Amino acid sequence: MSSALPSAEVALDFKESLQDLQMNNRYEISNLTIIAKENTEHAQAISRVLENHIRTAPPPRKLPALYVLDSIVKNVGTPYTVYLGRNLYSTFMDAYTLVDGQTRKNMEGMLKTWKEPVPGSMDARPVFQPEITRAIENALIKARTAAVHQQQQARTQRQPFALPPRPVASPATPWQNTSTPPQNSSRYAPPPIPDTYQAQYGYRSQQALSQQPAAQYLPRPNSTSTYSNTAYGQVPSPGRDLDMLNDDVARLILAAKTEFAASPYEIGVQQRLKALLDLQTILKGQTLSPESLAAIKAQVAQLSVALQQPPATAAPVVHSTPQPWQPPTPVAQVYQPPPPVSQPHQPPSNLQAPISFPPDILAQLLASASNGQVSTPVPQPALPARPSITLVSESTPTPVPALANGGSSLLDSLRAAGLLPATPEPAAAAPAPAPAPSTHPILPPYLPPQSQNHLQTIGTPPVRHAGLAPPGLAEMRMKISMTSAALKIPRRHIVALLYEAQPNQCTSCGRRFLATSEGREQKARHLDWHFRINQRIADSVNRGHNRSWYVDEMEWIRSRDPDESTMDPNASNDGHNKSAPAERKGPEDQYIPVPTEAALANVNCPICQENFEAVWHDEAQEWVWMDAVKVGGRIYHATCHAEVSNAGGGLVAGRVTPDSTLGKRKAEDELNDLRARLKKDVTAY
Amino acid sequence: MSILPGLGLSAPLAAPPPAQHQSSRVQELQAEAEWRFEVAFGASVKVKLLHGTAELFGTELAPKVTYTFAGTKAAIFTWHGCALEITGECESEYAAEETPMLMYLNVHAALDNMRKGSPTREGPRVLVVGKENAGKTSLVKLLTAYALKSGSRPTVLNLDPREGVLSIPGTLTCTTFASMLDIEDGWGSSPISGPTALPVKTPLVYHFPLESPEEDPKMFKPVATRMALAATSRLEEDPEAKEAGFIIDTPASVSSARGGYENIQHIVSEFSVNQILVLGSERLYNDLTRRFASAPSSKPADEAVNVVRLDVSGGCVERDRAFMKQVREAQIRAYFFGDVRNTLSPSTQVWDFEQLRILRVVDPTAALNPSFLPGDHSSTASSSLPIFESTLPSLQLQNQLLATKHADPADSHPAIRDATVMGFVYVADVDEAKKKVRLLAPSSARVEGRVVVGGSWPEGVGDLVA
Repeated sequence: MSSALPSAEVALDFKESLQDLQMNNRYEISNLTIIAKENTEHAQAISRVLENHIRTAPPPRKLPALYVLDSIVKNVGTPYTVYLGRNLYSTFMDAYTLVDGQTRKNMEGMLKTWKEPVPGSMDARPVFQPEITRAIENALIKARTAAVHQQQQARTQRQPFALPPRPVASPATPWQNTSTPPQNSSRYAPPPIPDTYQAQYGYRSQQALSQQPAAQYLPRPNSTSTYSNTAYGQVPSPGRDLDMLNDDVARLILAAKTEFAASPYEIGVQQRLKALLDLQTILKGQTLSPESLAAIKAQVAQLSVALQQPPATAAPVVHSTPQPWQPPTPVAQVYQPPPPVSQPHQPPSNLQAPISFPPDILAQLLASASNGQVSTPVPQPALPARPSITLVSESTPTPVPALANGGSSLLDSLRAAGLLPATPEPAAAAPAPAPAPSTHPILPPYLPPQSQNHLQTIGTPPVRHAGLAPPGLAEMRMKISMTSAALKIPRRHIVALLYEAQPNQCTSCGRRFLATSEGREQKARHLDWHFRINQRIADSVNRGHNRSWYVDEMEWIRSRDPDESTMDPNASNDGHNKSAPAERKGPEDQYIPVPTEAALANVNCPICQENFEAVWHDEAQEWVWMDAVKVGGRIYHATCHAEVSNAGGGLVAGRVTPDSTLGKRKAEDELNDLRARLKKDVTAY
Repeated sequence: MSILPGLGLSAPLAAPPPAQHQSSRVQELQAEAEWRFEVAFGASVKVKLLHGTAELFGTELAPKVTYTFAGTKAAIFTWHGCALEITGECESEYAAEETPMLMYLNVHAALDNMRKGSPTREGPRVLVVGKENAGKTSLVKLLTAYALKSGSRPTVLNLDPREGVLSIPGTLTCTTFASMLDIEDGWGSSPISGPTALPVKTPLVYHFPLESPEEDPKMFKPVATRMALAATSRLEEDPEAKEAGFIIDTPASVSSARGGYENIQHIVSEFSVNQILVLGSERLYNDLTRRFASAPSSKPADEAVNVVRLDVSGGCVERDRAFMKQVREAQIRAYFFGDVRNTLSPSTQVWDFEQLRILRVVDPTAALNPSFLPGDHSSTASSSLPIFESTLPSLQLQNQLLATKHADPADSHPAIRDATVMGFVYVADVDEAKKKVRLLAPSSARVEGRVVVGGSWPEGVGDLVA
């Protein structure tokens, strides 16, 4: 308790020094390491500050901060390895997704050293426990295999849209020359463009030119299908359409704002945000023809889908919000290819290699893509006023001819901001398939545009692959009626919702998480929780526990049974300095964790001689004694203590809030009142 | 959920001698097959998932984690194929490829659609009925586990007093599940004072000290009504729970035609059930369809009750009375002492006879009411016959379980009957000479001044405190 203040101070100090760290400065890093070494008793606070710093620092500053982490765990070791190890996965991966290729290489080098003992140390154990580093490695491998996977799927499905749809992290995409910032990508754009990338892209462009002439003007049905489902499937009224559209735009704006906050200097983000705000104004202020409404809507839908993919920092809001007329995120994942087992092209690449694909893979990818386009043109519902839905090959850096016909100035401005894909996504994604998945390390083959595509195939010959026969989400949503006959039809694709759609499995309890950034956060918290709970179980193994009393009706009705295993323990309390916030509350809200010492477990309040009642505290995530306060080594009822010390009772000068007992009574009265009411309700039967 | 013809009928073997050689073997399963196994009480079988995926009643096994089973009849199903490493002797085990899992999966998907597609954010309220050993509880577990996997938080209501959910037999419970079920322990654990490896679940527990609702519908109905009131209030307060809806498990006895399905009717109306899943029985299906689903025009669409018949798993096996008794004993033991992973230390309390006022449920089958009217409580009872009789501890009570209630001794009998349970105490010893009674209570907190209620169910457990 007494250490709370110094701990905060040290942490603040550390934080300030960290913020000064602009570049890879050996002196500063060793200085920070020394601070950490001298303050191991505040290791938890320091670790948290460091984690936060790595998470929030702009990409160029992440690497120096990671070097600080590296230096601390190697030179100081425990307890930092424990504290930092807990969130190492997210710390590392979150940074990894945002930095450029060179930094990634450095990070991978660092990761490699973590698997080994500290050089020159007597201790033969690796820096971090193998479980921790393995998880990160796996994620990196997954990211690579995912990329390969997308290729594979591209081939099996023989559809052009199977190209990695995700907006690309590299600024080196040819069409960027058109002054059209690529959507979603500017954020990741690292200032220096590694030579390897350029070489790669050069090569790829050639390939594209020679192999893909036929691909240029192929219709691109992704967004169309979304639209057609909406328009013809459910026949919403125009008003509702508009409402939904407004909602979506609002959501996109929120996402863009988040993004803007994260990287305020990115021009692409600024423009996008502005365009979205303009769009919102227009939507609200003007009446649009159904055609242009439809066009906007399709684009927004597409953008929403695109936005569902960006990494953790983007906008959890968007991830968690299924679009009204679209499959909720998990459902869209039904169509994931089976787990990346059969990889014909490329075995999981080794970790040391920088994340990029050899040119021949790219060539294959492009070849397959163009094959698909030639052989299987996907039927496209007729929608006259959709200007930009045209697939443009990467080799065509100029805007599409089709753009000219129906594009209003609004659409143009959207397009200029990269909102409307003047060059549609598949094309955008094709240039650099390798970096794309690496920005989403544990998002393996998550291909929303394809899913939409499947939606469309409901009406057309279904695409079947790898034993998964996805008749489409729409069918699943609409056709399963609760009749014996309908229930007898096997629908194996539903299994994917329970398994493949949630590829992120906890190894200790088997629980699965979505492959979204939200899912990753949840899993990180979940693993954290396992860690904490296992420690607490180990700590309390010799302490007698007992079954708690069952709750009564009022308590049960009010309880929310939060899933503690995925709750953010930091959301409400820092864990290590609980008493600090408690001081500012009324005494009846104060609590202390139930003491673990056996001698203290049954103590009475020295003032009223009554014992303390252990209750589960949702926020603190542990058993606590409410209305309790520890003063000078003894535990009192906070209300008793406040009362006595108020009256100048000679006890240790306390943190006092008057009117305490009144508050207590009041709360009890309220509860009793509710109980009485409930009783009345029942007896009325 | 495992069957060997004839085997289920014989009395369960006494705990077989511990396996001398703990050799492990590997059981390969094809996709959509299941491994059905029975483990006797006292024996234990360890199962580890080597590769592939596997689930036990919908709850997925973690890879490379060893699970220990004892005293169970269950099945491990795989959608994708798997290999299990099995250590220890099962009473019976075999792999089966015919399962109704695809059908159950469809049921889940349909319910999931109702949850997520509901414009009013109001989930389906599902009632599962069927004959003895049709796999009702297994289906409820499966649907609960799948709902949890899909991100819903269903409220499970157990109306079967023969087997407790997160509590002991002789109770009816409602629980809103937010965290995954326990592979080894069926449902999980109610809160204990220490940390648990899986999040605890908080049940709301009602006392129903009879084996079957049919024994005394006059007692069952008000308790069910009370439960429905609490559960519905919870849903009103908790949008997530509301979206997920109810899944209601019932004892087989309510599905017998003898009582004219009066209790089912009561449950359907009290819990506003709108989906009835009938496991197996054609006749039950037809009877219920006629009763609930035949007159759609008279009711608005949102109040319509849909009745659907589901196939019974071939793995369903009879659990004879002796086995069920062991299950109940295990549940009672676990209430006080925990399990291997969480050992609990109950407290022993010694009371004078006078300190302990026990209410016993009046036997509803007794034609006459021979009991003397308890002076303290009779006046406020609203029904003509008292529900409880007040007794002093006697040797009769030895080894019985008594419920401590969230009620005031001055409350009326109906109020006490409908009050929720705070906890259970076990009468370890009655010394009639010294007029002392020794109780086993979950914790050291005294039950003084509380209402303590006993009944005829569950039957006494002989050797709880040996």
